[in-house]
Amino acid sequence: MLSRLVLSIGAVCLAALSLADVTIRFTVWDGDEASKVLKEEIGRFEKANPGIKVKYERNDYATYFEKLLTQFAAGVAPDVAMMDPNNFQRFSKRGAVLPLNPFFNTAVDKVSPPFDINGYYPSIVKAHSLDGNLYVLPRDIAPMSIIYYNKRLLREIGLEKPPEDWTWDYVPHPEKGHSDFLTLLKNLQKKRADGKVTGWGYVPGWQDLLTDWAVYSIGAYYCDDAANPTKVYFDDPRVIKAFQFSADLTLKDKLAPSSFDQAGTNARQMFTQQKVAMYHTGIWDTPQLRTEIPPVSKGGFEWDIAMAPAWAGGIRSYPTGGSGYSIMAKTAHPKEAWLLTQWMAGGPGMLAMAKAGIAQPAIKKIALQEPWIPGPNTPADQQVPQNRIITDTSEPFVKFAPTGLLWSEINTIARQPAGTIYTGDAKAADVLPRSNKIAQDRLDTLLKEQNLPEFNWVVGGAVGLLLSAVLIGWVYWPERGIKRTLRQKQENRAGYIFILPWLIGVVVFTAGPMIFSLLMSVSEWDIIRPARFRGLGNYQEMASVDPTFWTSLRVTLVYTLVSVPIGMVIALSLALLLNLKVKGIAIWRTCYYIPAMASPIAGSLIWLKLFQPEGGLLNAVLFGADGKSGIPFMRDVFAPLIGANGQINWLQNEKTALGSFIFMSVFGAGGGMVILLAALQGVPQYYYEAATLDGAGPWRRFRNVTVPLISPSLFFTMITGFIGTFQVFSNAYQMTQGGPNNATMFLVLHTYNNAFKLLRMGYAASLAWVLFGVILIFTVIQLQSNRFVHYEGSER
Amino acid sequence: MATVPVDLTHAAAKKSADKAQFAERFSRGSALLTLFVGSVVFLIPFYVMLAIAFKTESELGKTDIWSWPKNPTFENFQYVITNPNVSFSLFLRNTIFISTFTTLGVLLSSSLVAYAFARLKFAGRDRLFLLLLATMMLPGIVTMIPTYVLFAKLGWVNSFRPLIIPAFFGGGAFNIFLLRQFYLGIPRELDEAAFLDGASYFTIFSRIIMPLSGPVLAVVGMFTFFGTWKDFNGPLLYLNDPELQTNELGLSTYNALQASKWHLIMAGSVLVMIPIVILFFIGQRYFIKGIVMTGGK
Repeated sequence: MLSRLVLSIGAVCLAALSLADVTIRFTVWDGDEASKVLKEEIGRFEKANPGIKVKYERNDYATYFEKLLTQFAAGVAPDVAMMDPNNFQRFSKRGAVLPLNPFFNTAVDKVSPPFDINGYYPSIVKAHSLDGNLYVLPRDIAPMSIIYYNKRLLREIGLEKPPEDWTWDYVPHPEKGHSDFLTLLKNLQKKRADGKVTGWGYVPGWQDLLTDWAVYSIGAYYCDDAANPTKVYFDDPRVIKAFQFSADLTLKDKLAPSSFDQAGTNARQMFTQQKVAMYHTGIWDTPQLRTEIPPVSKGGFEWDIAMAPAWAGGIRSYPTGGSGYSIMAKTAHPKEAWLLTQWMAGGPGMLAMAKAGIAQPAIKKIALQEPWIPGPNTPADQQVPQNRIITDTSEPFVKFAPTGLLWSEINTIARQPAGTIYTGDAKAADVLPRSNKIAQDRLDTLLKEQNLPEFNWVVGGAVGLLLSAVLIGWVYWPERGIKRTLRQKQENRAGYIFILPWLIGVVVFTAGPMIFSLLMSVSEWDIIRPARFRGLGNYQEMASVDPTFWTSLRVTLVYTLVSVPIGMVIALSLALLLNLKVKGIAIWRTCYYIPAMASPIAGSLIWLKLFQPEGGLLNAVLFGADGKSGIPFMRDVFAPLIGANGQINWLQNEKTALGSFIFMSVFGAGGGMVILLAALQGVPQYYYEAATLDGAGPWRRFRNVTVPLISPSLFFTMITGFIGTFQVFSNAYQMTQGGPNNATMFLVLHTYNNAFKLLRMGYAASLAWVLFGVILIFTVIQLQSNRFVHYEGSER
Repeated sequence: MATVPVDLTHAAAKKSADKAQFAERFSRGSALLTLFVGSVVFLIPFYVMLAIAFKTESELGKTDIWSWPKNPTFENFQYVITNPNVSFSLFLRNTIFISTFTTLGVLLSSSLVAYAFARLKFAGRDRLFLLLLATMMLPGIVTMIPTYVLFAKLGWVNSFRPLIIPAFFGGGAFNIFLLRQFYLGIPRELDEAAFLDGASYFTIFSRIIMPLSGPVLAVVGMFTFFGTWKDFNGPLLYLNDPELQTNELGLSTYNALQASKWHLIMAGSVLVMIPIVILFFIGQRYFIKGIVMTGGK
């Protein structure tokens, strides 16, 4: 630690000597609007710091860390990178980001005031620190204590704003009146004549927010130590109670709309459409609400914010988020990187973000003044919400989610049944203790990982070469001793000249990475630190310890074995239909191929909407938009699949989730259709005519003429269909993240999670190679049983 | 082509012809009906995309997801096209550039390689072919980092090179396999005759095989072009500079953490789709252009 400290100070001094023209690469995950603000601010930074150029890069949060890690492994990571409490440990624990403390005392220049970390909110500084070092200079903090409220709806029950002394509890306290959260919600609830609830008092931005808030408020937590968890507490009765409370509030008491009531709109839209009086989230939604809520004159409403209630016992606690910037350890220009960091996560950057209303400044002083707090100079359209001071007053009560390195995996395992609790399909008390035990076992295993010897690259390289030699030997072994005629020699040479591009491609681009991953499969590698040799440990772990491996293998097999044959039948039927000579056939063909052309981002979002339980198209077609019309008897047919909400929760129900993916895969049949359509053109018309003359009916013509003649293409569609389908995962990644309860945890998704979420690249490699083996066996079996394939031009 | 032998009485012939005609019409009619119903189903996701793309953000929140907008608006399209932070036209140029050259590379190299695997006998061919297939079987996730390191060492990162150049070296196992299957269906008499006339292997390839492979080359070309067009992971990984990005990356900008802008994502996706839909519409006639297979038995 000390040596690194000295080193960084040395680097700072050294860099101070030469302020030549340097370029600093700066990467963030902000969206469209924040990007604009950041780019403008970078322009001002460059002006104030001649000689430093900043290159701005951005990625989605979903892919941000994957790319950053890959760049880091290749030694081409940016100099300054955005970070948050959930992720920085992955880098800091491995020395991939610099501790920032040594920079604090470096006088940057004579003009700027000395840097003062004490001006930052202590909670966000602490959340970004480990063992006394700060690794991320905080840029913003986001306490999720903000209740946006609709003044019109509150006035209906005689309130101007939520009572400041309000408290909440699991049971209503009617004697406290509006000051009791649940009683207030009861009073705000609106019912139709038939008893159906149509208006609610409260909606959390997402259901886990309500759960987390409940857990923290009663003083419980998900593990023993946020930074280094060793015990998982999802079986804590208070945690179980909080989960059940969260589900009951929506499903049983109907005091908040459930995801079903939200019917495809999100929580914010429920609020802007005045179906809900109070909306609980963070301050970041303000810019969006300003554009979505029209002024009163145009049918809008007045609104403001209030601090979410305290727990009846007196504890006030809120989940929170936040982020900041880190300096990557491999940067060649730490001093310039610090200058940029200090600018963007300091006064100038924060003022710019505050002005745009995007993020609460992490420096208390800036968070207490204009433009963050509205004042006389604030434009009229930015005066709401007025009560922005609560962003500051709720800061002492924030609680960060566990930040420990292994927490991401453990949390995913332990929270697996949350979805079924929220849909009412399971009771928290039944499912959480079970998932907690699996999570705890997993955590114990991961913690026990012994200190393995470093991977020996000389031996590794030799093994790689040996493997290549064996492979080459296997290819040419049957050729030994074959005598070739002159013509055969010519043909042999020509063959190699023709495949030369591929041979070069394989040797240069493919073989190396494949061998590397095979070596990694017997190692433990976190992408950042050097790999360690683990022998067959990864394979043993998958066979005996990892609970998800077998599930994911089963899910993948079921999906592949069902969807490939279905897909082939549909592709062939479509190809036959679209081979008809009718007018406008080009348009038909295009129609069927359109789903295969849609951009993947749009595709998965659309499917989420189609599968949505309430307000989704699929259920609307089956049961009618009102739940009554629709196709007759469908309710009886699908009775076993209908959930507590009276709908089929396609993606949230274990029984239907994988089926939904298979259904979705049908829409990708366009690709196979195109190949088979092209193959059908190669069937000479006179074969059919001859067959007709022989008295063959349509079926026999199809069976004895069409199928044999297009069999090479059918064979191709089958083999590549299996190879491709075995590796499917991106839709599951986008739409269900493998849930519910691992029902859509494809093997490659499990591999992805291990590689880039848990940084267990070695284990991921072993999973991938097991899948490789499975696919190889499948393919060889198909190649062996290729008797049905008929090649017109085959060698005789 | 072939003449129909008539050894039936006229009446019986007429009757059976009527029957056949009826059956023909009936099966044609039901085929068309199936086509129609099926295409409606297949177009649902696209319809929902359009419905969202033409709605204002506020209408999107208030209405059913599949309802057609009351006042369809072009403002989302306008926003996507004119947004200075996410330059649609620049990204489109990049996308066209990458897709065109990748397709070119794939067509050139995969057709050569496939020809050898389908038509020439060379040492170790069948086992090499299994190796070729095997390169498709390992999930890309675990080769991603070493591949990236390789391109970084070559100094290719943050340029189009890692996306385009590999296409010229083999063009992918999928395409080679597909082309090989088609080449195997071309009767051998053709190249044997040419060979006896003294044609070289390359002449056979370029004068006999290629002209007969129009449909499958069109398929490979289109698959590659479309695949590159909507590729997300490749550009995401290898392109850093905002001015090198592609449309698919641009779309993801509207899918930010806290505020997913559905109306903009859908409008952008529709815009990005239009060129390839047109391309397919025009191109489909090439992959169904009947090739005349002479020879046969």
